[in-house]
Amino acid sequence: MLLLNATLAEPQHFSQAEKLLLLVLIVVSAASFWSRFGAVLDKILKSRKDPGFHLFPLARRVREFVWEVLCQAKVIRQRPLAGLAHAFVFWGFCAFALVTLNHFAVGFGIGFLDSAGWFGRFYADFAALFALACAVGILGLFVRRFFIRPKWLGKKLSWESGFIALLIFLLMATYLAAFLVPDAGAAARILWWAHTLTILIFLPIIPHTKHLHLVLAPATVFLSRGGFSLIPPLSGDEDFGLIAGTDLTRLVSLQAYSCVECGRCTEHCPAANTGKLLNPKEIILGLRDYLNDLGPASEEPLLGKYNAQEAVFQCTTCGACEFQCPVGIEHLPILVCLRRGAVNTGSWADGQGTKLFLALERGSNALGMASSERDKFIEKQGLPIFDGSQEYCLWLGCMGGYDPKGREIVADFARVMNFLGASFGVLRKEKCCGDPVRRLGNDLVFQQLAEANLEVFAQSGVKKVVSICPHCVRTLQEDWKEYGTPPAVEHHSEFLARFAGKLPKQAGGETIVFHDPCYLGRYRNIYDEPREIIARNGQLLEAPRNHERSFCCGAGGGLVFLGEETGERVSRVRAAELISTGATTIGTACPFCNSMFRDALAERGEGAPQLLDIAQLTARGLPARDAS
Amino acid sequence: MKIMVAIKQVPERDAQVRIDAAARWIEESGLQWALNESDAYALEEALQLKEKHGGEVVVVTAGPERVGPTVREALAKGADRAIHIDCADLGSRDALGVARLLAAALKPENPDLVLTGLQSDDLGQGQTGVIVAELLGLPHASLILHVEKTETGLTVKKELEEGWFQTIELPAPAVLTIQSGGNKLRYATLMGIKRAKTKEVRTVTAAELGVDAAPVVVLERVALPQKQKSTQMLTGTAKEAAAALVEKLKFEARVL
Amino acid sequence: MSGIWVVVEERDGRVSHIGCEAVAAGQKLAALTGLPVNAAVLGAQTEALAGEAATWALAKVARVEHPLLAAYTADGFTLALEQFFAVEKPDFVIFPHTYQVRDYAPALAARLGQVLIGDVTAFSADTAQPARPVFTRQLMQGRLNGAYRHSGNGACFISVQAGAFRADELQAGTAEVCSFSPTIEPAQIRTKPGERFRASAQTIDLGSAQRIVSVGRGIKDAANLPLVQELAAALGAELGASRPICDAGWLPLDRQVGSSGQTVSPKLYLAVGISGAIQHLVGMKGSQCVAAINKDPGAPIFESADYGIVGDLFEVVPALIEAVKAARQ
Repeated sequence: MLLLNATLAEPQHFSQAEKLLLLVLIVVSAASFWSRFGAVLDKILKSRKDPGFHLFPLARRVREFVWEVLCQAKVIRQRPLAGLAHAFVFWGFCAFALVTLNHFAVGFGIGFLDSAGWFGRFYADFAALFALACAVGILGLFVRRFFIRPKWLGKKLSWESGFIALLIFLLMATYLAAFLVPDAGAAARILWWAHTLTILIFLPIIPHTKHLHLVLAPATVFLSRGGFSLIPPLSGDEDFGLIAGTDLTRLVSLQAYSCVECGRCTEHCPAANTGKLLNPKEIILGLRDYLNDLGPASEEPLLGKYNAQEAVFQCTTCGACEFQCPVGIEHLPILVCLRRGAVNTGSWADGQGTKLFLALERGSNALGMASSERDKFIEKQGLPIFDGSQEYCLWLGCMGGYDPKGREIVADFARVMNFLGASFGVLRKEKCCGDPVRRLGNDLVFQQLAEANLEVFAQSGVKKVVSICPHCVRTLQEDWKEYGTPPAVEHHSEFLARFAGKLPKQAGGETIVFHDPCYLGRYRNIYDEPREIIARNGQLLEAPRNHERSFCCGAGGGLVFLGEETGERVSRVRAAELISTGATTIGTACPFCNSMFRDALAERGEGAPQLLDIAQLTARGLPARDAS
Repeated sequence: MKIMVAIKQVPERDAQVRIDAAARWIEESGLQWALNESDAYALEEALQLKEKHGGEVVVVTAGPERVGPTVREALAKGADRAIHIDCADLGSRDALGVARLLAAALKPENPDLVLTGLQSDDLGQGQTGVIVAELLGLPHASLILHVEKTETGLTVKKELEEGWFQTIELPAPAVLTIQSGGNKLRYATLMGIKRAKTKEVRTVTAAELGVDAAPVVVLERVALPQKQKSTQMLTGTAKEAAAALVEKLKFEARVL
Repeated sequence: MSGIWVVVEERDGRVSHIGCEAVAAGQKLAALTGLPVNAAVLGAQTEALAGEAATWALAKVARVEHPLLAAYTADGFTLALEQFFAVEKPDFVIFPHTYQVRDYAPALAARLGQVLIGDVTAFSADTAQPARPVFTRQLMQGRLNGAYRHSGNGACFISVQAGAFRADELQAGTAEVCSFSPTIEPAQIRTKPGERFRASAQTIDLGSAQRIVSVGRGIKDAANLPLVQELAAALGAELGASRPICDAGWLPLDRQVGSSGQTVSPKLYLAVGISGAIQHLVGMKGSQCVAAINKDPGAPIFESADYGIVGDLFEVVPALIEAVKAARQ
C-alpha cells in the first residue's frame, strides 16, 4: 500500500508569528467552545438533583459505557450499515486523540511523536487506517442524509450536519494527504494549517449543535438510571412531576442535550408510525429547546409551547424509543413524569381517563366491574384460594379476573399448573396492580392500590407470584418497590419454560407466529421462554418485527382504557403484520395484546388466524380431564 | 357564594352484602367506604359554581370517625373546609333525625346555597335534602342536573321521568338535591390531597347541636331478597320465548 | 282518624298508571287493617279526575282544588295537603313513588313530624302489632330488603314503587266525591316551574336513555338493521350498538356502547346478537335489567344478563316485536 511506505509529513520551524497566531486561535476557539458548553453545563447542573439516583454500584455503569460507547454496540446492532459508518467515525476520533495532541505540539515545536521512530510511524499508520475508515464512513453518512434521506432524520435537510460532515471529511483528508507530501515545503504547511483550522472551527461548533453528544453522550450513557423505564420517585410534598423548568432534573437535562437527532426512537414508535402527533425525538428536542430558551429556573409549563400535552398522552410506553437510543436517553421516565405533572395537578381533563381514575378510586379494578364478578369466576372455575400453604400465588389481574378471554387464559393456565402438580392459590381480594394509572402518572391512585395490595400480600404470606400478564409482572416487581417489598414475581412463560420438559409436545403442522409483548420483551428481556413453549405446540414463525423490535399492540400506557385513537389503529397495523406471515395461529403472552388483536381480527371475519395465549396452546395438549 | 354540600360516606358500590348478627343492618367489618355517588356530583356542581362565581364550598357530613378519609377526599377535590358531625348512631336515626342534625349545623353558617346528592347508595331514600329545606324554611328543587346563578336567584335544570326536563327558577338561598350524571366528575389528585392536609375540619357532636329525637320510622330488620341474580334462560320456540320475555319484563323486572 | 288516603297523580287528563297502582295498594292496605280507603286528587280542575276515581271501591274521593295548584309546585302541594290532612287526620297516606312525590312528600311528612317510608315494594301485617304493618323497601341498590315500621303517633306516610302493586287488581265500586279548598297565597309559592322540554333531537344521548336495544355482529348485514330498529321503536327504546357495527359504518359512532363509546345505565338493556366482550360489558353493566338474544349458548353476554334467549335473532326479534306491541296496548 502506498501509505505503508509513506510517512506523515511534519512541517518544521514554525515562526514566532505562526506560534502566536496558533495560540490566539486556540484560545479563541476554546473560549468560544466554553462559552457555549459552559452555559449548557450550567443549565444541567442548575437543574434539580435526581431523587433516588445512586452513582454506585459502578459495575453496571462501567459495563454499559464500555459496551455502548466504546464498542458502539447498540449503534451498530440496531442500524447496521449507518451504525458501522458512525462507529468508524467515532473510533477514528478516538484513535486520533494522540495524533491531534501531537499535531498541536508540532505547531509549537514540541511534537512528541517522532515520525521516524517505530512508535511514531506505527501510530501514524494506525491512525491513517482509521482516518480512511472514518472518511469513508462520513461520506456514506453524508450520502445517506442528503441523498437517500431516510424519513427518520426529519424532513428538513440539516445544513449544520452537512457542514460538520464536511469538516470531519476535511480533517481526515488533510491528515491522509499529509502522507503524500514531503516534510519540508509549502504543501505540508498548508495541509497542517488546514487541518488546524478545521479542528479549531469544529471545536466551538460542537456545543452549539447536536454534536454536543461528542462530549455528553459518554457521560449520559454512564450516568443513566439503568433498568428499563425506571420511573423515579417523587421527592417531597411539592413534587408532582415535570410541570415547569424548575422540575427538570439533571439527568433529564443531560439527556435532552445529548440527543443526536438520529430518529431511531421515532422510527420504532407505534404512535409516530400510525399518524399520531407523538414523536419521541421531538419530545426530547422540545425539552432541549425549552432549556435553551428558558433554562431550568423557568416556571413556564413544559407542556405548551414546546411540547403538546396531546402528544404525551399518545404514548403506549412500549419502550421502543428508549430501547433504541444509542446515547442513553431514557424517554419513558421523561414521558411518564410529564404525564405526572398533568395528572397529579388535575390539568389533564380526559373523559375516559377520569373514568378510569374514578373507577379505581372507588372500586377494585380498572374495568369498573363489581368485584363480585371476580368472586363468581373463582367459584365457577373452582380455583383454590391462597391460604399460605401453597407454593405459588396465581395473580389474576384485571384481565384475568374480569375479561372473558383473560379468564380463559387463567383457566387454561390453572389446568396446566394442576397437571404439573404445582400448588397454587388465588387471592380472595385483588385490586388492580395499578399499571395503567402508574403509566398515566396518577401517583395518588397508584399509591392507594400498591399499598392496599402489599398489605394483602403481607397478611396472606405470599412468597412467589405467577401472573399471565406482563404488565402486572412488571408493576408488582418494580413499581410496587416504591411502597414496600413485593414478593418474587414471574410471568407464566417463565414458569412454563421451567417445566417445558414435562409438558406434552404436540405434533402438527400448525404455524404459530409469536408476538413479543412490550412488557415481556423489551421490559423484562424474556424472548426465548415463550418461544420454547410455542415450539412445543407447533411450528414457530417470526413476525417481520420481532424480539426487541416487536411492534406494540397499542394497549399499554393506560391507552386501552382511553378513548378512540387518532390516525390508524396501532393494533390493526400490528395485526396485519402478524397475519402477513401466513401463520394459522397468532401466539400471545399478554391478555392485553390478546384483547387488542381480537378486535382487529374480528374485522377480518372468516379466514383470520386463531388467536391463542401460550397457556391455551399448552393446555390443548393436556389429557382431557385436568381441571381442578 | 357560600355553598354548603351535605355528603355521606357509604359502603363502596360493589361491597359484599352480608347481614349482621342482629339482622338489623349489614356487617360493616371489612367494608370499604366511599363518597356517595350523587353527593360527588353535588360537590362537583358546587366546585364549578365556585370556580365561576367565587366564594366558598363547605362540606358537611354526619357519621363516625371512619368518615375522615371521605371528608379529606372532598377537600382534596376542592372544598375549602369541612364540618364533621360526629355521630356513631347514624343508623338508628330516621331521615328526619339526620336532617335535623344537618340543619342544625347548616343554619348558623347562613349559606347562599345548600346542595345534597339526590339519594344515598345505601338507604336510597332521597329525602334528606328535601327535609333539610323544610327545616330551614328554604325553597328547594330536586333531581337537579345543572345550576345557574342569576340576578334574581337560581335557574336550575330538573330531570323529569321518561327523558323530559324542566327549568325551574327559585330564589336564593335554597336547597337543591343533585342527580348523578349532570357534570363530568373530577378525579382526586395528588396535589389536591396534599393541599387538603391544611384545610380546616371542624368536629361537632350531635349533643352539641342539641339534636336528639326518637325516630318516628324504624328499620327493624334486613334480609337478602328471595330472588338471587342469576340468568333466567327462556326456552321454547321463538314465539314462546319472546312471550315469556315480555311477561318477565313487564311483571317481574317491571321495566316495560 | 279517617283511614287511608291515596294521593293520585294525573297523566294526560286521567289518573296515571302508577296512581292506579297506588289506589290498588290502598285497597290492599284497607283489607289488611280494616280501615276505609279514600283518594285525593289535587289540581286546579279536578272534576274529570275525581269522576274517574269515583268509579273505584273507595269510601271518599276528595277534590283538593285551588287555582295555584294548576301546575305542580312543592310549596303548593305541600301547603294544600298539610291543610287537608289537618282536617282529615289520616292513619295512612299512600303516594305513588314518582319524581314529583319525591320532591314534596318528604317535606310534607316532616312538616307533620312524620317520615315518609318511600318506594315500598310490599307490606304485611305483623301479629305482634296488627295496627302497624311492616313495609318492605329495597336497600343497597336492590341487594337488600329492609322491613320498616312506623312507630310514632299520627299519620304513616308511604309511597309505593312502580309495578309493585298491580293496577289490574283495582276494585271497582262507587265513591262519594267531596271538595276541599286550601288557602294558598301566591307569595307562598317560591319556585317557578318552566316549560318541559326534551333533550335536543340532534344529539343521541344514550347515557340518559331509559331503554336501549343494542345490536351486534349477529345482525350480519346493515340491511337487517330495520328489524332491530322496529323492535326499539316498539319498546320506546333508543338504538345502541357494539363496536364492530359502528366500525363498519352501519350505525354512527355515537350509538356505540362500550369502553370507547358511551356508558349507559338504562332500566332495560336488550342485547341482540352481541357476544359480550368486556369492552362492551363495561359500557352497559350499569343497566338495571339486561336481556340478551344470541344464537351461541356460550356467549359471555348471558353471564351479565337477567334474561336470556338462545336462538336465531331473525326469528326471535319478530316474535318479540309482536309480543311487545300487544303488551303495551
